[in-house]
Amino acid sequence: MNQTLQFFLRAARSTFLNIRTNRETSLVSVATIAVAFSILGLFLLVLVNLSALLTTWNRQVQLIVYLQDNISKVERTRLENLIVENPDIESSTFVSRKMAWDKFKKTFSGKAEILQSLEFNPLPASFNLQFKNSLGRLESIRRFAAVLERQSGVESLEYGEKWISRFAAFMVFMRLFLLAVGGLLSLGLVLIVSNTIKLSIYSRKDEVELMYLIGARPRFIRVPFLMEGAIQGLVGALVAVTIVKCIHLYMKFQFEETVHSLLKGANIQFISFPLIMLMIFASVFIGWLGSLLAVNQFMISEVKK
Amino acid sequence: MIKVYDIYKTYGGNSPALVDISMDVKPGEFVFLTGPSGAGKSTLLKILYLWEKFDRGQIIVHGINVLKIKEENLYALRRKIGVVFQDYKLLSHKTVFENVAFAQEILETAPGSIRFKTWEALKKVGLTHKKDSYPLELSGGEQQRVAVARAIVNSPAILLADEPTGNLDPIIAIEILRMFEKANQQGMTVIFATHSREMLDAGNHRVVGLNRGRVVTS
Repeated sequence: MNQTLQFFLRAARSTFLNIRTNRETSLVSVATIAVAFSILGLFLLVLVNLSALLTTWNRQVQLIVYLQDNISKVERTRLENLIVENPDIESSTFVSRKMAWDKFKKTFSGKAEILQSLEFNPLPASFNLQFKNSLGRLESIRRFAAVLERQSGVESLEYGEKWISRFAAFMVFMRLFLLAVGGLLSLGLVLIVSNTIKLSIYSRKDEVELMYLIGARPRFIRVPFLMEGAIQGLVGALVAVTIVKCIHLYMKFQFEETVHSLLKGANIQFISFPLIMLMIFASVFIGWLGSLLAVNQFMISEVKK
Repeated sequence: MIKVYDIYKTYGGNSPALVDISMDVKPGEFVFLTGPSGAGKSTLLKILYLWEKFDRGQIIVHGINVLKIKEENLYALRRKIGVVFQDYKLLSHKTVFENVAFAQEILETAPGSIRFKTWEALKKVGLTHKKDSYPLELSGGEQQRVAVARAIVNSPAILLADEPTGNLDPIIAIEILRMFEKANQQGMTVIFATHSREMLDAGNHRVVGLNRGRVVTS
């Protein structure tokens, strides 16, 4: 235990010296990681908020079943039974023709000419069905709509399905896009960190060669450089998270009221804690991987002649 | 201690660096490796301290066939070999004391004994009074003494020296030679590469002569 602790203390000291010796290149590497992860973070921020928007919309979607004016009692009862028996339905409201007309009149109270031109109540009665919140909510609505469509006495159905389907497809595209951008940026970062660590190794080439010659264990030589890359990744990610948080706060301050007034229940969200941890972990891993490549390349080109 | 059988090494040019070199160095022996520049002395030493690979042949160091050791375990064998270079290879940002201590730190020696052993090694080469100086503040002879202290501080079984006196004036060079002889008297096997006639005359040791990559005297 004591030996392991000593080993890590020495490695940490060596890492700190490496970073101090190569301050400028380390700074460039950290800045590059920070910029790249800020870009990723911003994409993520957009994705998180679009997902939240989709969820809010989904939650607000209700199935409206418009009834034929001449619907029989039996037909209506059958519909009511279907609604009651469906476990996915949270609540249902019956809106009679009169209630619909009253609501319409109230909504268009300022437009007297519209009301005057309508000599009769053209609005059908309807059932407004609110579905329970679940992952397959939209699918439940779709399925039940298909059942109701076949029932006699039903005039039409409405639930904005196409809209939501298109948006959901767009979200799938966004996720794939983020994955592709993330992958490419990660690859670029690995190469950049690898080059920085290579500079770090070459600036201490004499020392590293001496270590090999005198008989240092390979891990004694590698670990400080691996730690250097991981630290660059960590600092870069922390800077990126700070930048994205600042942008989020700015957007919240500037646009939240507008968003809220456009869509009740919607607000500008920040990336969730697990996703932030994932970003930081990915950045540390990229730093470590870049260093590993650099150390291995050095071993092959300089040591294993 | 060191057995070399038919070593062949080429860097890809027209003439190979080493051609079928064979030699046997017994434990506690002091051997001069000599020959003109380009004879293959440095290449042979690099192979012996496991820095260069060879194309053919076998080498047994300290009873271990170097071809049979996995790359990641070479360090264990390197610990039995101390090396001194013509250009000293001292770290200019470390003091004399730190340079010698460095050789122990990287072998993960307990911090308590590093100080003591470093002091002892500096005493052996007569440099305790310069312990806080930086290499560039020292003369060539003093720098080489630091390099010797660094090579012997971990008490290796074998001490290899690649033209350690090449840059020094004859009097200092002989002083350095005596340090190697002292280490040899304490039990270390020494291979001392030099192309200087004076050094060969100053020490009464076996001479292995190389020329154009071949052994010419043994």
